[in-house]
Amino acid sequence: MKKYKFIDNLTSDVMFEAYGKDLKEVFENAAEALFSVICQTKKVGQNIVKDIVIEAEDVRGLMINWLQELIARVDIEELFFSKFEVQEISETKLKAKVYGEKAKPELGETVVKAVTYYKFKFEKTEDGYVARMSLDI
Amino acid sequence: MKEKLKKLNEFEWELDKNVRPRMNVKARVIGNKKIIDDLDDGTLEQLTNVACLPGVIEPVIGMSDMHFGYGLPMGAVIAFDPEKGIISSGCTGFDINCGINSIRTNLTYDEVKAKLKELVPALFSAVPCGVGSKGKLRLTPGQLDQVLTRGVNWAVENGYGVKDDIEHTEENGCMEGGDTSKVSDLAKKRGGPQLGTLGAGNHFLEIQKVSEIFDKEYAKKLGITDTNQVLIMLHCGSRGFGHQVASDYLKIHEQAIKKYNIWIPDSQLVGAPANSNEGQDYFAAMKCAVNYAFVNRLVMTQWIRETFEKVFNKDWESMDMKTIYAIAHNITKIEEHTINGEKKKVYVTRKGATRAFPDIPALIAGTMGTASYICKGTEIAMQKTFGSTVHGAGRAMSRHAAIKRFWGGKVKEELAQKGIVAQSTHPKVLAEEAPLAYKNVIDVVDSVHGAGVSPKVCRLTPLGCCKG
Repeated sequence: MKKYKFIDNLTSDVMFEAYGKDLKEVFENAAEALFSVICQTKKVGQNIVKDIVIEAEDVRGLMINWLQELIARVDIEELFFSKFEVQEISETKLKAKVYGEKAKPELGETVVKAVTYYKFKFEKTEDGYVARMSLDI
Repeated sequence: MKEKLKKLNEFEWELDKNVRPRMNVKARVIGNKKIIDDLDDGTLEQLTNVACLPGVIEPVIGMSDMHFGYGLPMGAVIAFDPEKGIISSGCTGFDINCGINSIRTNLTYDEVKAKLKELVPALFSAVPCGVGSKGKLRLTPGQLDQVLTRGVNWAVENGYGVKDDIEHTEENGCMEGGDTSKVSDLAKKRGGPQLGTLGAGNHFLEIQKVSEIFDKEYAKKLGITDTNQVLIMLHCGSRGFGHQVASDYLKIHEQAIKKYNIWIPDSQLVGAPANSNEGQDYFAAMKCAVNYAFVNRLVMTQWIRETFEKVFNKDWESMDMKTIYAIAHNITKIEEHTINGEKKKVYVTRKGATRAFPDIPALIAGTMGTASYICKGTEIAMQKTFGSTVHGAGRAMSRHAAIKRFWGGKVKEELAQKGIVAQSTHPKVLAEEAPLAYKNVIDVVDSVHGAGVSPKVCRLTPLGCCKG
């Protein structure tokens, strides 16, 4: 199964769909798609590990909060992430370990300001889950 | 939707209230035939969506640089009644007080051209650009609170800029009423390390030459006397701080529209009644982001001055590096406008639109390969556009499409052939921001000039550009 796909739909910004056979996978793949916009993930190391806990009222909110948290951590901790391991997940809470290294412009791509609700979708499909979202960059 | 546009004159078009259900007011679009021909239906529909919001004042305005955005188009102006209207975090958007500073010099093109290959890299290292770049300032929480509430007054007291900069900044560089207790800790944590950073994407620092002067008298008042005079333009906003304020209040306003039973045609246009706690809390937090952005640009202005001092071996005052003007193009403000013949205080949201008050400069950013403009605000703008004009060329192609179509190395080479030195953190940024990914800035500016909203003062062509 493809991890994610970018969709050429927005004049000013970026839209993608992430796929996964289960919740764990779709959340991991969405984070991977997000960071492929922010930095050159293939070149970003994994020597720094952070634990992340996210809660929300529903699974849609959980996805938005997860990605928003990761975007904020780029600014606050000045880190780029390249590997995402969701360890526990329900529709309202997730625990994850994310791996990365100190951010530097040579490894950067672009600033993602926020995840938006534009054409946001989170659906269960025959093969698992699909999440579609747009990034304001 | 486009076929429903009614032509008022060569540069103005209108959508009646009845072009779709539930519009409260008409929509007006500024643009010449070329601009209108290239407009897409989705963008016009977004404009009619905001015409459905409660308490909106006639008309909602789409500028000639209008393009599809989140909820409402970039290049839009909306005014709301302070009693019946809403304040919308969705309409103001993520990059609160994204804006432009224009700085003049008395250097000529020839003087700068000789040093350009030294100057651009020096600026690139003096002004942190791109995602992952480190801010050089590390503020204590107390200092950050001062930035958020006192704006450029804090900057000048701490050696970033001078009093004259304050006088040449919209709102004198400080919106009164910024309340840090309405800002989340997360926003403060994001904003702390980023003050004095450019960011990425369409944000830039550009060295320009005056290539044509249209209004000599007014240009002289701004200290612009000759073609070939060199100016500097800085375009950026409130960085992660403003993005987080917007993200936080979008969630709060999502709840508020349910609580106050407000119907909105697009879930991205969330807001709260202007006089509600949720509305006023956002306004107080947004002002903090506005002040942050004014300081961000002034801090970088000072570093630009210091870099010029090193490269040209003169002090910045002797190079006359004064702020021509510093202006916001993503903001919500209370302003006095004449509504149905009566002067009234209203909330004005400019989303990708620049204030164009009479005799005050409006700064319009083009692309790194074409041109930017300084225009002059007018009384006509007060009558027609709530004192507003365009903010830039406006994208015509998505970033994704631009990356597929252009290659950064080639873009850099083509710019070099025109004598423009461009530096970016990596070539992809140059592809994303390729001049052809934007609308023709000449059509955009000729439209607002022709409509009498903001006549052209001078055109500025790029010499050197730093991109994130």
